[in-house]
Amino acid sequence: MPLKMRRAAASLGGSLRGICGARAGLAGATVLALCLLLTALSFYGLIGFGRGGLDTRLLADPYFHSLLQFSFKQAGLSALLSLLLAWPVARALYYHPGLALQRSFLRLCLLGFCMPTLVLITGLVALLGRNGLLTPLLGENWNLYGLGGILIAHVYLNLPFAVRALLLALQHIPDSSWRLAAQLKLGPWQRLRLIEWPALQISLLPLFGFIFVLCFNSFAVVLALGGGPRATTIEVAIYQALKYDFNIPEALTLAWIQLLIAGSLFLLLARLGSAHWLGVDSARRTRAPRPAAPARTLHLLVYATAWLSLTLPILALLPGLLDADLQRFDWPAILRPALITLILGLGAGFGALGAAYLMLLPVRRARIQHQTKRALALEWLSTHTLVAPALVLSVGLYILLLPRLDLDRYGILLVLLLNTAVVIPFAVQQLRPRLLQFDRHYDRLGRSLKLGVRARLAVEWRFARGACLASLGLVMLLAMGDVAIFSIFGSADWTTLPWLIYGYAGTYRLEEASVASLLLLGLCALVLLIFERERPDA
Amino acid sequence: MKTPLSFCTGLALGTLALSAAAESADLRVYTYDSFVSEWGPGPQIESAFEAQCDCDLEFIAVEDGVSILNRLRIEREGNKADVILGIDDALIEETRATSLIAPHALDLSGLKAELNWHDSDFVPFDYGYFAFIYDSTRVGQPVDSLRALIESDASVIYQDPRTSTPGQGLMLWVKSVYGDDAAAAWTRLASHTVTVTKGWWEAYSLFLEGDADYVLSYSTSPAYHQVAEGKNQYRAAAFSEGHVAQIEVGAITRNAQDPELARRFLQFLISAEAQAIIPVTNWMLPVVDDVELPDAFDSLIRPERIGFTPQQVEQSRRDWLREWRSAASR
Amino acid sequence: MLEIDRLDVMRDGMPLHYHFDVDAGEILAIQGRSGVGKTTLLDTIAGFEQARNGDIRWQGRSLLKLPAERRPVSMLFQDHNLFEHLAIDANLRLGFGDGVPEGALLDACTRLGVDALLQRKPGELSGGQRQRIALIRTLLRPEPIVLLDEPFAELDPESRETAARWTREVARAGKKTLLLVTHQDEDVRLVADRALNLTWHGD
Repeated sequence: MPLKMRRAAASLGGSLRGICGARAGLAGATVLALCLLLTALSFYGLIGFGRGGLDTRLLADPYFHSLLQFSFKQAGLSALLSLLLAWPVARALYYHPGLALQRSFLRLCLLGFCMPTLVLITGLVALLGRNGLLTPLLGENWNLYGLGGILIAHVYLNLPFAVRALLLALQHIPDSSWRLAAQLKLGPWQRLRLIEWPALQISLLPLFGFIFVLCFNSFAVVLALGGGPRATTIEVAIYQALKYDFNIPEALTLAWIQLLIAGSLFLLLARLGSAHWLGVDSARRTRAPRPAAPARTLHLLVYATAWLSLTLPILALLPGLLDADLQRFDWPAILRPALITLILGLGAGFGALGAAYLMLLPVRRARIQHQTKRALALEWLSTHTLVAPALVLSVGLYILLLPRLDLDRYGILLVLLLNTAVVIPFAVQQLRPRLLQFDRHYDRLGRSLKLGVRARLAVEWRFARGACLASLGLVMLLAMGDVAIFSIFGSADWTTLPWLIYGYAGTYRLEEASVASLLLLGLCALVLLIFERERPDA
Repeated sequence: MKTPLSFCTGLALGTLALSAAAESADLRVYTYDSFVSEWGPGPQIESAFEAQCDCDLEFIAVEDGVSILNRLRIEREGNKADVILGIDDALIEETRATSLIAPHALDLSGLKAELNWHDSDFVPFDYGYFAFIYDSTRVGQPVDSLRALIESDASVIYQDPRTSTPGQGLMLWVKSVYGDDAAAAWTRLASHTVTVTKGWWEAYSLFLEGDADYVLSYSTSPAYHQVAEGKNQYRAAAFSEGHVAQIEVGAITRNAQDPELARRFLQFLISAEAQAIIPVTNWMLPVVDDVELPDAFDSLIRPERIGFTPQQVEQSRRDWLREWRSAASR
Repeated sequence: MLEIDRLDVMRDGMPLHYHFDVDAGEILAIQGRSGVGKTTLLDTIAGFEQARNGDIRWQGRSLLKLPAERRPVSMLFQDHNLFEHLAIDANLRLGFGDGVPEGALLDACTRLGVDALLQRKPGELSGGQRQRIALIRTLLRPEPIVLLDEPFAELDPESRETAARWTREVARAGKKTLLLVTHQDEDVRLVADRALNLTWHGD
């Protein structure tokens, strides 16, 4: 628009379109289209190289059936266990808002959710492996590898997330309900059934579905703790098909199946409503009753156990430090990778946050106009990299780009781009509830006040700042832990910290590996401290 | 959202500027990551060769040996390599089938006789025998054959044959010892397998943490512990049936810019100078005799070599993988 | 003149029909039973509901084609008039573009007894206090048409009278065309020039 006309338009109405107007919607649609293009290109890369063939014989292979069965079983159990165990912890936190170190605990929860898997696995092995610190307590037949180990790691990663989501659901119980409950002299069981359960119920199913999808697509954990061909998920099978055999028809067949199953599950759960994912606004006044002494003791016990379980795998890394000679340690060798990791995390974090914000504009527009189906479709598309096999994304693009682009030189940009693409769904899910809440309360007010784009952005920013910073921290952490994408596009010149850990461990240098692991974990904790603050907004 | 955008642009430009500094080299070698790592043979090989060729050598590293082949398959004639380094003998036929490899035309008569090497395209630069490693402070009476190991109840960690070369080696080993009874042997082994890992280091680090009695590795692994750590307790179990070898090879590509330079590099790799570097950095055996090595190498087991030819491996590998996959998941 | 010309609006499957004129500068009270469509009428004038037929004209020009952001309308909703995460003074300054009338805002706050609350967040205010803050902003904005949806509902009798008198004063001085939805005859007497009783289409 020419400047003159723009001025005229501005003076006419005091503003251009609203923030969810057509033009902004177009920007959002463009970003969404680019992200979809990326996925489409990666599939195209694989299909083109494999001449489009699918391996339908696979569908009749008993191995495939057992693989599918195991994928469902472990994902279902992981989700169920995470929720069941998270529930008492969330209750303890809800009923005792003044518990010591509660804020630290909630941060630790976030760290748990984003814990780089290779660090977690090292910690779990130190704790529960055959020579683990806790193993003597577990009896003769204990074996970490297999379904047991996978479940422990998945619960460790997802329980903290569930705790935050359930706590948030409880905090949404209005004060008036508790006043009424007190007035009506409801007993504990009645309160549980009539007040707590309805509040939890709406988030339980979407939460179950989300954790299920994450575990269904699980890769690193299953690869490391699966213990053999008995325990394999589709994503791992895709890796195995590609790695040695370069069997593209088999990989593609598996990829389509995974996309179909995880994708439809995810769509189903989007229809069922949205949980307030990772706890968008957790600061709430609440008048929940303070339980009596016996219940209080139980809650404290649960809380202490949760603390212990979340910290133990981290503490288990410490003895490794004692072995390492920190004086002789090659710090400069580790600082550059640490810096690159941080920069990559920041880049992917800001990129994903910006992309998520733009992608949400058309979604919000559709929600405001009550076009629910359209909104659901757009939401699904903007989170599609969550269900698309990550390996196909990177390997497909690698095949497509390798002959066309000097990947040895520009590969690091692809690492950044793909990491951004993979964490966008998490940013979308973090921002969405907060922004939709803004629209629900204030869209009309903002339009009635004829706020310009900048004024509206300023108001919106102050409303969603907490959610923005928290999701920035979260997606940064997820990107900082990446090894899968780096292993394909990265180069030795740009070694990241997680990759360095692999490098150390791969050359018998286990002590350096544990120092680097702790440094990575420390960096993650630092990022959380900076971005995940208690948010008093709203 | 101006800040993140300009931030990303800045990052992108910075990356471009930095990487543009790297000039194209005279000799480009595709190899695997651990070869070029700070503690691998790469840095020493590079400076030693550059000192005598007056040229610029550049290693381009991918994740592992099979990734080199996969990369060639994707890039086809567009590949940037003059030399590939780090494919093993089991992948030779598939690599040859890409028609991207040129004959080396080198005289290989100086190689160790036990290698029995007559290939006109591929030049071996190191080798090792697959072996099960144990901690002698924990296992007093080690097993003396593959059959004894599989029939025992000792805890074992090995690698997935679909994703790692040692895993693939064990597959060949079991196949050559058991033949048609291999499936039953896999199922028996699965009953006392702690875990099957994706790659070598996952298995080996678990073993070092004390997670198993035996781990599948190389006959040369004990040398590392002696030389680098001064530890003597790790030993390779010698098996009476013989051991399967892994021979790592290099080759010249058809589209090499300077085939003569590429030949000189391969020649250099089997020279006494390079052969003295490789064993103590890659922890494998030298392919020529009379290389001066640390004493630790003298105490290594000297197994009899068994196994299959690359052609046999290429023909049957997929069937054997399927056999393992269903037998071990039972 | 504001002309509501044979306006048809569909709300929750019910057809609503409006037809009347308001002179420029006139203050009109709109009354009628619950559900008769008072709020829908204001929403349609402000641009938050779509008309099916008919027209709304201001000074002879149709408003229907304009998005809410471009209509010469300032509206007070029944609720959600304040951003909960912004302090009162920040809320008050919104909607004026560059020309925030600081003096007038402060005078109005003093007059309506809310001047001590400027640094607080809306959540710390009573319903009546919030309503007065929103009323001040709505009336002082430069738009010539002002729509008030039950502006005094939560006020006690005393502040109700003060607010009502102030509303009339400011509307007169600013030559506002004001539409006021109310259930109280008292409001009509204190503020309006005339009252319009909305009824069902067929009544």
